[in-house]
Order: sequence, then structure tokens, then C-alpha cells
Amino acid sequence: MSDQRTPETTAESASWVSDARGKRPFSTFILQITAVILLLALVPLWLGGSRVMMGVAVLGLAFICYTIGFNIIFGSTGQLFLCVGALAGVGGYGAAILADNFGLPMLVSIVLATLASTLIGGLLSYVAVRRSLGVIFTGIVTLIFTLSFDALLLGLGEWTGGDNGRLITTGRDTFLRDQIPPYYVMLTLVFLFLLIHGLLQRSHFGWAFRALRDNEGAAELAGIDVARYRVYAALIGSAMLGLAGAVYVFTEGRMSPTTFGFGQVDVVVMVMLAFGSIGNLFGPILGAVTFTVVDEILIEAGQLREVAYGLLIILLFLRLPDGLIPILDAWRQRFSNRNKAT
Amino acid sequence: MTANILDGIVFGLQLGLLATGLTLVYGLGGVLNLAYGQIAVIAALVVSFSLDAGMPLLVAILIGLLAGGLVGLIMDQTILRPVYRLHEEPRVLLSLLLTLGLSFVIEGFLIWRFPLGALSLRVGSGPIEILGVPMRAGSIVASVITLLTFASLYVFFRYTAVGLAVRSIIEDEEGARLVSIEPKKMMRLILFLSGVLAGLVAVTRSMVAPVDTHAGLSITVFALIVTVVGGLGSVSGAFFAGIILGVINIVAADYIGSYVSLIMLLVAAALTILIRPAGLLGVPE
Repeated sequence: MSDQRTPETTAESASWVSDARGKRPFSTFILQITAVILLLALVPLWLGGSRVMMGVAVLGLAFICYTIGFNIIFGSTGQLFLCVGALAGVGGYGAAILADNFGLPMLVSIVLATLASTLIGGLLSYVAVRRSLGVIFTGIVTLIFTLSFDALLLGLGEWTGGDNGRLITTGRDTFLRDQIPPYYVMLTLVFLFLLIHGLLQRSHFGWAFRALRDNEGAAELAGIDVARYRVYAALIGSAMLGLAGAVYVFTEGRMSPTTFGFGQVDVVVMVMLAFGSIGNLFGPILGAVTFTVVDEILIEAGQLREVAYGLLIILLFLRLPDGLIPILDAWRQRFSNRNKAT
Repeated sequence: MTANILDGIVFGLQLGLLATGLTLVYGLGGVLNLAYGQIAVIAALVVSFSLDAGMPLLVAILIGLLAGGLVGLIMDQTILRPVYRLHEEPRVLLSLLLTLGLSFVIEGFLIWRFPLGALSLRVGSGPIEILGVPMRAGSIVASVITLLTFASLYVFFRYTAVGLAVRSIIEDEEGARLVSIEPKKMMRLILFLSGVLAGLVAVTRSMVAPVDTHAGLSITVFALIVTVVGGLGSVSGAFFAGIILGVINIVAADYIGSYVSLIMLLVAAALTILIRPAGLLGVPE
């Protein structure tokens, strides 16, 4: 899959601070997305025979979706949302409960649940921006939201199935539970999300995102409403998380707190994003595909898999020059600039 | 009601001590240690193994505390080194991510190696009556130890040269450097102290309820919440926030059920951050 990272995209990720991006012709960008999607579309030819492997592949696609959503929120505007799993869970649990317990049609419940996670994500961002919380406090407030969501899942056992989770009856006898179609449903989402993220990067959003990430103060002075763009990014990203979570649970047919757990989703998404280079359009795909494969290999290791995750996180953030470090440097510059200014 | 409040204070004192270890490291070095709960678990397991090996209780506890401190020292010498090269927010962020990774490494290893490991200390025999409420002897011993620790921390930070040096760094690192206080040395000391405190909390907690291999994450989360509410870098803030949150938690758990009480605790923490980002007793920047 890494073949898809043409020299052009690699060069771009290395010089992501410059504004080289966005000058690429529109057709190249469409071509790249199409090529990536076509490559991913071939996966069932290879794994289609195995129900287990197709399940892994669908989960991998769901993680690509989550990572794209998180990339828009954290990678584009530096808001450390430690509630990726919880926002996806609002979508997943919300849609399943609306459809199963309240008898709403599947599509309506998906839309409503997505709306709910969009609003929650937007609200979290709005509050953080209004109170001008830094990265760390945004992280802690969103982490608190994650913990509350987990407590709710356990507490509202009659709807959520508590610790053991629950089965979802809606969509049981449709193509969504077949072996191969769910893969293409999720792939359509990946395509949509990539397209939206790509279009965002080329619109005035992209310019604002880059400006406020490079130097927030200068962006503000240049007339960019930093607060507004932060909230926009959170709204769009959270909508993606909620939608992906909702669609995923209907293809899976069951869910439990671990489906959207902090350790199972947030940490993994962070690793995927760091691995694939933060802020880059195709980073999430590279990271998610690699990580899904590695995870399958490690599944034999049992508890030691957690050790491997931990080592991977440490190594990634210490050693990968293309990962988090450019962002850290940019923030450091931003801070030294701000300190000089005051 | 009195019983609930007393139980809340017992729990709250431990929360306060727990948060103290985290808040000192953050206040001094801008390092948010997410492997903190795992250090407590390591200490608890070491105490439990030492007891199994036939050592007297006090010696076993001492070894456990030293083990906790040692983990802090090792962190200071290894994964925190690149963290010290950064400053301000990037430093906190990198420390948070690296210690998160470390917490996975430690927890995965411990659960793999000692899946059933746990520490549960039995202290005293019958209940002791306080304010007309029978309290478990373990709770009282735990609270006395915790209070004594707070008292010695108070003396340490108020009257000893080293304690004053640490506080001067928290206040103004550049200024401290100018009067030839070495932040690096102090950081090493405080990471050791923080590990010892984590171990002490594990020991006192195990007098009330067992501390097992899986307890790490919830210990870290509680410590983080109390730290934030009390004000990052403030020991007295951690003390009061611990007691307040402990009482809220136990009283609410009794009246409305435990998951709502946890959510109330979380909402209280979130509101504190939003209304007063510096925390109850922190100094606003």
C-alpha cells in the first residue's frame, strides 16, 4: 500500500509547513484518491474467502475513517481530542439503540446518531476554544468525556448491554451482514472522507488550518477567525467519527464497550496517525493498513501485544522524524514567538 | 451520612496523596506521567512478593516503596530524557504520549507474567468507633499514614532547603537556576519521591481494598482528575481536592448509585477546569 505514497506526497509531507500543498492540479488529487481506493477495492479478491479476514479488513477501513476524522481535528487544528472512540461510540450505540429499541429506520437512526456526535464534538471544541484551553486541557476535558461515556455504557445496561455488549437486530438479514458487501460500504465512506478532507485542504478551510497551525497569533492578525475554524474542524471530524461508528456497528451486528474503548480506539488511532504522518491526506491510510496487518500478526502474542503496542508508541514518537516531531517543533516556535511578543 | 462522609474522607486522603505524586512532577518538570498508576501496581506487587518470601511487613513495605521510587528514577534516566529537551506544551504532550506507551508496556508485561497478582493487607482486628461510627481498622491506619505523610511533605516543602529549592523551581525555573539550583537534580529527586508516593498509596489502599494487576489505569485516571481539580503543581490543592472529590464520590455512590456518582465526579472535574483552569488552589498564569 505504501507504493501509493508517490514521491510527490512524501516530499509534501516533509515540507508540510510550507504552502506547497493546494497548488497541485485538481486532477492529480482525484487521480491519487481513486488509485488508493481502487487498490483497497482489490483486497476482497485476496481475503474474500475468509469471513474472519474480511471482518479484520472492515475494521481496518473503520479505523481509516476514524483516523481521517481525528486527523482533521488534531492534525489540522491541533485540538487533542482524546474521545475518538467515545464520539464514534455515540454514533454506533446511538444508531443501534434508535433503530432497535425505538424502531426508527436504519438510515434515519444513522443520521440522528451522526448528528448527535457532531453536536457533542462541536460543543467540546466550542467550550475548549471559548475558555482558550491549551492542548493538554483540551485533552483532559475530552478524556473526561470518554470516561463519562464509558460509565454511561455500563450504567445504562438495559440499552447498551453493559459490559458484555449487545447484538443488533436491525439489518440482520440484509447485505450488510454478508461477507463482502460491508467492505465496499465502508470503502465508500473512506472514499467520501478522503474526498472531503482533500477538498477541505484546497478550500479556504485548508489555508486557515495551515495558517493557524503554523502560527496562531499571525493567523489571528491576518484576519483568520481561529476559534471559528477550530470549531468547524471539530464539527466535520466528529461527524465523520459518528457516521463511521454508526455504519460499522450495523455491518458488525454486535458491539461492546471495547468496540469503542479508549485503549482499543483512541490509542490505536493516535499510533496510526503518528505512523502515517500527521496532517497528511494519505497518512491515515498508510498508518491504518500497516497497523491492521501488524495487529493481525501480533494477535497470537496475547498480553504481550499490549507490550508491543507500548513499545511501538514510544518508538514512534521518539524516532519517527515525519511523525509528531514537526508538529511539536511548530508548536515550540509558536510558543517562543508568542513569548517574545508578550 | 456521617459514615459516608468518614468513608469519603478516608478515600479522599488517598486520592490526595495519589495526586500529590503526579502534581509535583508536573509542576516541577512539566511532565504528565501517565504510567503513574502502573508504578503503584509495581510497588504493590513487590510488597506482595516480599511478604510471600517471608519478610516482615515493614521491610516488605519499605522494599515496595523503594521499587516505586526506582521506577521513577529509571524513567528519569531513560524515556524522559528526550522530553526534557522540549519546553512548554510540546514537552507535556511528548511526556504524555511516551508515558502512555510505557504504561502499556508495564501493564501488558505484568498481566502476562502475574495475571492474578494482588496486594491485600489485613491490619488490626475489630472495628474502631469514631464519632459513633464503627470504622475498619485498616481505614484508620491508612488514613493515619496518609496524614503523617502529608505532614512530613508540609515540613519538607516548608522548612528544608531541598524542599524550598523544589518550590522555587515550580515558581520560576529561570530564577532558581540563577541562584544555582539545578532543576535536573531536583527533577530526579521528585520523580523518586513521586514513585515512593505511588507505592505508599498502593500500600495504604490495599489495607481497605485489594490492589490488583489491572488497577493501574483507574489509579492514573483518579490521580489525573484530582490533580487537575486541585491545580497542577499545588500539593495543598491536591490534598483538598482529594478530600472533596472523595466525599462527593462516596456520598453520591450511596445515594444515587455508582455509575452516576462517577459521572458526577467527572462533571465536577470538567466544570472546575472550565471555570478555573488553574484548579482550586493553583496560581492562574
